[in-house]
Amino acid sequence: MPARADVIDASVHPLVRQPDELREYMAEPWRSLPFPGPHRYLFPTPTGVAPYGEYRSDARPDKGLPGSDPALMARHLDELGVGTAVLLPLCRGLLPNVDLGSAVCAATNDWLKANWLGPLNTEGRYVGTIRVNPEDPAAAAREIERWAGDPAFVQVGVPLEAHRPYGQRNYTPIWEAAARHGLPVAVHSEPGAGTDFFSTPNGYHRHHIEYHALFPANFIYHLSSLIAEGVFERLPELRFVFADGGFDVLMPLMWRMDLDWPISRIEVPWVSRKPSDYLRDHVRFCTAKLEGAPPEIRTEWFETAGGADLLMYASNYPHWSTMAAGEFFPQLPEDVRARVLCGNARELYRLPEPTPV
Amino acid sequence: MTQAEPNLATERPVKRTESVVVGRVEELPPGSVTIVPRGKFGIGVYNVGGSFFALTNYCLHRGAPLCRGQVTGKVVAGDGPYESKMVGVGEFLRCPWHGWEFEIATGRAVAYPEKAIRTYPVLVENGTVILEGL
Repeated sequence: MPARADVIDASVHPLVRQPDELREYMAEPWRSLPFPGPHRYLFPTPTGVAPYGEYRSDARPDKGLPGSDPALMARHLDELGVGTAVLLPLCRGLLPNVDLGSAVCAATNDWLKANWLGPLNTEGRYVGTIRVNPEDPAAAAREIERWAGDPAFVQVGVPLEAHRPYGQRNYTPIWEAAARHGLPVAVHSEPGAGTDFFSTPNGYHRHHIEYHALFPANFIYHLSSLIAEGVFERLPELRFVFADGGFDVLMPLMWRMDLDWPISRIEVPWVSRKPSDYLRDHVRFCTAKLEGAPPEIRTEWFETAGGADLLMYASNYPHWSTMAAGEFFPQLPEDVRARVLCGNARELYRLPEPTPV
Repeated sequence: MTQAEPNLATERPVKRTESVVVGRVEELPPGSVTIVPRGKFGIGVYNVGGSFFALTNYCLHRGAPLCRGQVTGKVVAGDGPYESKMVGVGEFLRCPWHGWEFEIATGRAVAYPEKAIRTYPVLVENGTVILEGL
């Protein structure tokens, strides 16, 4: 098990203290307009005590939302065995008013910088995510430019529930800006106003269990598009992080693409390599506690799926399914485990080696 | 038998075990394929712009009679994003079953150049096309 200082948690979600705190970072007219809170309205996990039952109950401070108290979070991350944490604040999904959506993203970045990446971050424990609104690619690219010079921000973040898959050409300005600054793009599910894409590409479901079984299809929806549209060919520096699980079903879906490629390649001649060959150079997945092959075949599955190259540990704190670093697949060889817990993220985010104590 | 023209079909060293006359050059015009009933699957003899090549009539993907496939070009990326173009028209073969593409001259799969269909040398001697290396 690597030392705590070495462990990098690739997906931690700080929340505002109360839903309207974000307004302090917004100018008029956005500041006075209504927009939804950080509460998931579709398929919230039916766990814990409502409201906010989908969060760890002990992550909720006396006053404020779960994950909103930096001191409490720091203590919990210590307990989880986490050294550096990549903060990925969730926004409010895709809003009907596109410009309001961009304003919420910009306010989230200012809030993150002021509250988590500023003076409080003396030890440099936290690095952040530039949240952008994929509905307005030009504004998103400008927002990336606004923060790209700040080393506290190490990636760009977009919601999972986009109306069009991320390989499509309307998004090109966002990915060009991210690639230009060497910033990976993280994709994560988030709450919304009800105008997002279907909760999975298969449409709506009635219950959380159906949604949770099918929601990895959301990642494949974007990933297959990124590969087929040749985005990684045109932007060799671009990296995508699927930061909300889904790795468990990645491999069989890549088998399908690989088998089809020699047959239908003429339609996408810019795809110069077998589709799964793009994964190692361009794609990472974050771990999720509640997924993976059954224990008796887990080692073989992990090896075949290329987990040592493609996975990065993420606690997903403060969600109820928070996973401690020590819980990640203890049976793996130490060197492989160290790559998932530390090395892969350190390389991707170009984080410094920890100072020896 | 003397070699009248350089062997264009292959760089592979030829072990001359047996040969068969395919026909006269004028009977096998450019763009034509002649399936010679030799071996387990037959062998397709192609005239590509005046040069002769021969491939086993068996697709390495799923075993289709490959040489019944369409002679075509290779689709490659164009100069700009989302542009595509066809190059080498007449030099490539598409399998009739699942569309795997092969370069006729080398037998190499377009998608996986490390995989190839077996090729045979073809000689042209005094206007007669001869399939070699059987």
